[in-house]
Amino acid sequence: MHPLPAPQASQLPMASPAVLPTPIRASRISLSRRTSLLGYALVAPVVICLLILVVYPFLFGVAISFTNREIGSEGEFVGLANFIYLSKLPSFQKSIVNTVVLVGVVQTMKLVFGLGIALLLNQAIRARQFWRGLILLPWAMPAFVAYLTWKLLYLPQGGAFNVISVGLGFGNVDFLSRELAMPSVILATFWRGFPFWVISFLAALQSVPQEQYEAAAIDGASAWQRFWHITLPGILPVVLVVVLLSTIWTTNSFENIWLITQGGPSDATMTFPVLAYYGLQTLRIGEAAAVSVAMLPVFVTMAFIGVKLLEKE
Amino acid sequence: MLGKLTLRQKIFSYACLILLAILILFPIYYMLTVSLKTNRDIYRVPSLLLPNPTLANYAELLGRRGFAVNMRNSMIVAGSATIVSVLISCLAAYSLVRLRYRGRTWIGRLILFSYLTPASLLFIPLAVIISRLQLGNTLQGLIFTYLTFAAPLSTWLLMGFFRNVPVDLEEQAMVDGATRLEALFHILLPVIAPGLVAVSVFTFTGAWNELLLALIFTTSPEIRTVPVALQYLITGDVFRWGLIMAGAVVAAVPIMALYYLSQRFVVQGLAAGAVKA
Repeated sequence: MHPLPAPQASQLPMASPAVLPTPIRASRISLSRRTSLLGYALVAPVVICLLILVVYPFLFGVAISFTNREIGSEGEFVGLANFIYLSKLPSFQKSIVNTVVLVGVVQTMKLVFGLGIALLLNQAIRARQFWRGLILLPWAMPAFVAYLTWKLLYLPQGGAFNVISVGLGFGNVDFLSRELAMPSVILATFWRGFPFWVISFLAALQSVPQEQYEAAAIDGASAWQRFWHITLPGILPVVLVVVLLSTIWTTNSFENIWLITQGGPSDATMTFPVLAYYGLQTLRIGEAAAVSVAMLPVFVTMAFIGVKLLEKE
Repeated sequence: MLGKLTLRQKIFSYACLILLAILILFPIYYMLTVSLKTNRDIYRVPSLLLPNPTLANYAELLGRRGFAVNMRNSMIVAGSATIVSVLISCLAAYSLVRLRYRGRTWIGRLILFSYLTPASLLFIPLAVIISRLQLGNTLQGLIFTYLTFAAPLSTWLLMGFFRNVPVDLEEQAMVDGATRLEALFHILLPVIAPGLVAVSVFTFTGAWNELLLALIFTTSPEIRTVPVALQYLITGDVFRWGLIMAGAVVAAVPIMALYYLSQRFVVQGLAAGAVKA
């Protein structure tokens, strides 16, 4: 399949030129070496970028989180002091609970509605292209535009939902109050995120072999049996990848909170990326870094599973 | 699955779709109407309709508010990040997919891991690094930091596209005397041109939409990108929602046009590998 000699060729002990039996052999060895060198040279720019921009900051962030570093001073090693401080900080506790609630609810909604809508679109409906284009709209618009628009919808004065609520005689509702801010953020995050799931699921559904359904129909399988035994196993790999990637990104999303509530009112929608951002603004970098580092065990676990899933593809 | 539907199923399906269409279109409709209203109309006579449309917000935004500068900054940052990223990613993806050498698997894992690492975990150490490199408050610094997500995203997607091309074409060209790089640029890249379009669209969009890093790394108004400029409008003391929504519309138009012009490729790209939402 590959035009080059097997990789082991480069690991052969180098013979002195005089002993080499034929010139062909010599050029083969040097060709595989040249290939390796070319390989490294071509991949180097990206690898160097990632070492500087991802690997180094990653490790540096962990190191900073064990110091009392501030803007303008390197700080000293303080052991677990930042983490102990955080564990007692109400905002931090709140941010963990809120992140779990937000991600848990939003992802469940995306899974249920995403699958439902994809199944709906996979039926013999008219103008499927049109509907697919329509559903892509929230995902095609920039996230910051979507969240600014939802902030506008929720406004107590001039917001569309209040216009409707007053019009229907329910009076003014404060959608960004302590009680309602989290559900409001959840709905906006769902709106912006679900198209990605629908389109991915739809592509997976369309790759399930049609013959399997025909065979099942001949055997007299019910719609539920067909879904459970053919559709679900067929789309499961895609579902797993989408759930995992989207969970990593939703856990770490900043715009949805920052543009709608900025974490308020009184930490009702504080999540850990927003808390880390506030931490950076206080200029106490050690503590701010500790907020992100506290999330690392969760992230690394998800990333590890993610790498395994994507490598399998 | 694609069999004929009964009438009841049909009614149910289309009812669901129409409800869905309303859910999707209503926020967009409201955004557009508010962008066409005066502040007075928005607050004094809140309404879902649009009695007195005006382009005043757009005129103020692009005139007195200098939003064109923000648009230009965003274009420069997203455009440069895309060009640099796609260029170095083509080379890296080719190397990882077509050449055999030691450490290849681990480099592949590094790229995947970077692709999964969100900016929210990196922005604090990155802030220290960028200020140490004296790149704070510059567009170059922003372009450079955007490679954190742009480079792994483009490399990962391009690897998928390269893998789908049989090697025979390149082999043939190399038998005819072409070098590997000639085979890459003259044979492979033209074949995956639709993939290149999709990758560029995704990378450009990712950079155009980025808020967190831009918020941290740009401080002076004249180098703010579009999302940063808009977020300053909502954290200010006076809310000008007509103006903010005009900005949102202007910011969304290039990206949405890009998506719908390249929708065929974009959906292919989505299928080729999950893409950051």
